[in-house]
Amino acid sequence: MRRGLFFILAAPGAALLIFFFLIPLAVVSKDAFTDGGGAFLRVFSNDLFWGGLRGSLILASTASIFSLVVGFAVALHLSRIGNAARTILVFFIALPLTFSGLIVAYGFILSYGRAGFITQMLAMVGVDPVTFSRLLFSPQGLAFAASYYLIPRVVMLLLPVFVNFDKAQFIAAESLGATRGRIIRDILIPQILPTAVTAFCLIAAVAIGAYGTALALVGTQVNILPLQLYSMISETGSDFPAAAALSLLLMAMCSCIIAIGEVVAARHERQDAHAR
Amino acid sequence: MSEPEYTIALEGVTFTYPGTDIGVHDVTLGIRPGELLAVIGPSGCGKSTLLKIIAGFVQPSHGRVIIGGKDAAGIPPRQRNIGIVFQTYTLFPHMTAWENVAYPLKLRGQDQASRRAKAVDILGRVGLGTQTDNLPAQLSGGQQQRVALARALVFDPQALLLDEPLSALDAALRVEMRDEIRRLQRMHHIATMHITHDQEEALSMADRVAVMQNGRLVQVDKPRDIYARPVNREVADFIGQANLWTGHITGPTNVGTPFGTLTTLPHGRNTGDKVAVLVRPEGLLLGRGPGDINSFTGAVTRDRFLGSFRRFDFEIGGVTLLGETGDMGEITAIHIPPTSIQLLPETGSAQS
Repeated sequence: MRRGLFFILAAPGAALLIFFFLIPLAVVSKDAFTDGGGAFLRVFSNDLFWGGLRGSLILASTASIFSLVVGFAVALHLSRIGNAARTILVFFIALPLTFSGLIVAYGFILSYGRAGFITQMLAMVGVDPVTFSRLLFSPQGLAFAASYYLIPRVVMLLLPVFVNFDKAQFIAAESLGATRGRIIRDILIPQILPTAVTAFCLIAAVAIGAYGTALALVGTQVNILPLQLYSMISETGSDFPAAAALSLLLMAMCSCIIAIGEVVAARHERQDAHAR
Repeated sequence: MSEPEYTIALEGVTFTYPGTDIGVHDVTLGIRPGELLAVIGPSGCGKSTLLKIIAGFVQPSHGRVIIGGKDAAGIPPRQRNIGIVFQTYTLFPHMTAWENVAYPLKLRGQDQASRRAKAVDILGRVGLGTQTDNLPAQLSGGQQQRVALARALVFDPQALLLDEPLSALDAALRVEMRDEIRRLQRMHHIATMHITHDQEEALSMADRVAVMQNGRLVQVDKPRDIYARPVNREVADFIGQANLWTGHITGPTNVGTPFGTLTTLPHGRNTGDKVAVLVRPEGLLLGRGPGDINSFTGAVTRDRFLGSFRRFDFEIGGVTLLGETGDMGEITAIHIPPTSIQLLPETGSAQS
């Protein structure tokens, strides 16, 4: 009976995993290795790949660091306010997660593009619209747009840690002679750090892999790996094994980053559990 | 009260939480150098607020707080140089025992080698010499409280504030830690305020006990005096075991109680006055008294064996009296010597 229930509950997930992850992965892997790994060599010997890797890393690290800083402050603030206000604010903060990347990009273009509302406003005080709007269509600009849906993720991850933080520690530290700055540096940050690292890895992986917003914002003008992959599949479309190889590389990168985050989180949890 | 004879002095300190009458009212109190003063009272009586006021986390609306002879108004908590031990230990979970203890020294700019040496030394003195590298979560409740105590003492504070430090520990450990705190407090000769709701803890540890009720200080005395001469019915009831009855004065050496008239020492009160009649359990003596004064026959309705003594309920005409004796024999009669009877105001307050 229990066994039957186990299969019934596990079946939908297992089916999804098999049909929409393992089988496509196997097909892509087979494609990538059709010429005995030559596809990987072609990818690695192409300067475009290294440029794309560089662009992706700049995008991911800029977006992740910026989102982490903003998300940290937002989560800290939310942990200090009443439950009702927090619930309402969390609802609004989570909203961007439900928007498609395309909508986000469109909104950004209307605001910060060459004829964008903000760009035009800044033009009135002498900021060159061309130079300013070019910022949006750069890896850094993409990073800014990506932060739009990365910050909520940071907030969702950090908020429980802040809410459950034993604030009596602040009072204790203050009585021992700590200033507010020292309390944040010595007491708060070290305890938040493992979760922050996990959050960073998670959003960095998302930022590296995401292409919807980027495609809508800059087409394929900015060289990042997901857009390179997109153009290899859709436009020129001549070297499918190389595209498959790039897919695997991109997936491996994202998996590695997520794995680092998980290892840090697990080590922290294990330390706690062991201690308990 | 501002003479340097007190390490900490409160002068007419008043604070109420916004929109309420809860807080402390007109408290005048001093803690002498090296003295352990226990502040005791039921929950919500304002004792923890008093601690917050001294620590600087709460600003009194009236009155002055004087620490080390100086008015502490405007001095933030971090500059008051007062060690605090909290009920929940509040150790920093990411720091080892020695790092926790060394943290106040780090804040004072000491180099790592000297602060580590000092932390390890004081941890040795609280019996944790072999656990200096453990994280708080690897320590038991009692050990964590020892670390907290070491952390509060390591920077040579002017005074020590203990906020119900033993209430989270189990009974046996609590008794052990009482002695430990007292030993360290004496060793450091530090003025200490110990907040507690446990009267046994207060009586057994303190040099003086301050009893608070409804935000007011009602009595400050040596433990023995508080027990022997409570100022009113509430204090008598709160401190120690007590037989308390509402009585009426019937003569210069008589008081009427629910179970009969008692002969007292001359009390100087007016006939008809309403008083609280206090007899401590050990004031109940077995058998009939000399001249049958205050002697009653009755029956034991409950008997609790407590090792070296027993605590019993003795019923006289529907009224139950609480008694204590080392005599394990049968009890059929008791008497109350007039010297064991105290007449107290039903309510009222006094400060000493």
